[in-house]
Amino acid sequence: METLSDLPPNVPQPRSLTGVFNELLIRPLAFLDRARNGGQASPFRMIAASTLCYALYGAAAGFFQGGDQILVAALKAPLIILFTLLLCLPSLYVFSAVAGAEWTRRSFLAVLAGFAGTLALVLLALLPINWLFSSSSRHLSSATIIQFFLWLIALGLAWRFLGKGLQATGARGGMILWLLLFCVVSLQAATVLRPVLSRKPGGAIFVYGKKSFLEQMGNVFEEEDKEAAQKAAKKH
Amino acid sequence: MAIPGWELLHGVDTLLAEVVAGRNLVRHWVRLCVAMSLGAAVYGAVLGTWHGAQLAFYDALKLPLVLLLTSALTVGFAWTAAVVLGLPLRFGQVAVLTFLALAAGSLMLASLAPIALFFNLSAPTPGPSARTAHNLLYLLHTALVGGCGLGGTVALWKAMRRLDAPLRTLRAVYAVWVVAFALVGGEVAWALRPFVGSVYMPVVFLRPDALDGNVYEFIFTDILPHLASWL
Repeated sequence: METLSDLPPNVPQPRSLTGVFNELLIRPLAFLDRARNGGQASPFRMIAASTLCYALYGAAAGFFQGGDQILVAALKAPLIILFTLLLCLPSLYVFSAVAGAEWTRRSFLAVLAGFAGTLALVLLALLPINWLFSSSSRHLSSATIIQFFLWLIALGLAWRFLGKGLQATGARGGMILWLLLFCVVSLQAATVLRPVLSRKPGGAIFVYGKKSFLEQMGNVFEEEDKEAAQKAAKKH
Repeated sequence: MAIPGWELLHGVDTLLAEVVAGRNLVRHWVRLCVAMSLGAAVYGAVLGTWHGAQLAFYDALKLPLVLLLTSALTVGFAWTAAVVLGLPLRFGQVAVLTFLALAAGSLMLASLAPIALFFNLSAPTPGPSARTAHNLLYLLHTALVGGCGLGGTVALWKAMRRLDAPLRTLRAVYAVWVVAFALVGGEVAWALRPFVGSVYMPVVFLRPDALDGNVYEFIFTDILPHLASWL
């Protein structure tokens, strides 16, 4: 595994944002290295660019229903991910520090931005697949399951950066649990900001009502069962 | 001087070196107690919010009490077990090490407070119809508190690795200490219930039957037979 000491000294700063993203894929730790050595890392620029990628990914998911739901999903996807990141920020800091990470403000921001950036890159890479399945799925339950699996894949691959970054700062072991926590919180955030994939004609953009993500998933499947039963009754 | 608990996140090496050398033990113990209480109070205040301000206030007092009592009740046994298993530590060193584990766990809990608050706020309001929400919140908080308690023992293990003793002895002592924390912590938390709050009963600081039956009796006479009847 690559460590900070394996990197050539004075890694030059990529000129464009695409260069920064490209570097995240090829040399994931260079971004963190620059931040630690006082070089330019611009984490906020990376988070802003990542937000755009999340919006594009959300738009692709919105094709499940189409119409203005594309815009709604494009708005909600970044909200879900950024809200989750915000909620999980303190635990990332404390858990990793207890696991041995030695943080400075700059290095912590760099790891956070690198994680957000890698997640954005993977989601962007999954975008065509997301669009294909979203446009062709007929049932909300199957679209939800597909979104869940794509999200797990994205998180698993984004771990590539986060795991290396944490290891480079000295954290040892157990941090995968934080990723699991991040996943659970993101599911609840998506429930709070529902409906994301589809809504009834003329329905509100945000539904106010307290619910856990497990209940929400259960409801999605229940409604599908009801619809199927109604169709079967009509046929007979 | 940094705030209590700061050294657990930054520069734990100095703290551990002093504990191993047996220096400034009382000062470290007091600081760890303060850090443990503050961290647990933050999470406790959030834990009770589902039922409102009154339970939030009670939990902010009770959760630090759970950790302090668990540490206090296990420290004597922890010292004896260490000596018997071949790790001749001073009582003060054992006290700091055992409190260190739960102080680290308590800081981890405090860092989870925004997430716990988010889940509490997005759950339906308490009432007989919110039984599922209650059970889910109960599971979530139990998992978070238990997970952080275990996570805190990572700091303990790091400290123990510095001690001059065979790895086998260290592992045995560590395992005994963790099991003692888990068993005693579970019972202390049970006696000081409610934390999440019942959907049927009013909010109280302590239940009248707090010491009438223990958590393990409850598991073996209520939960396990109930699960067995499902199978």
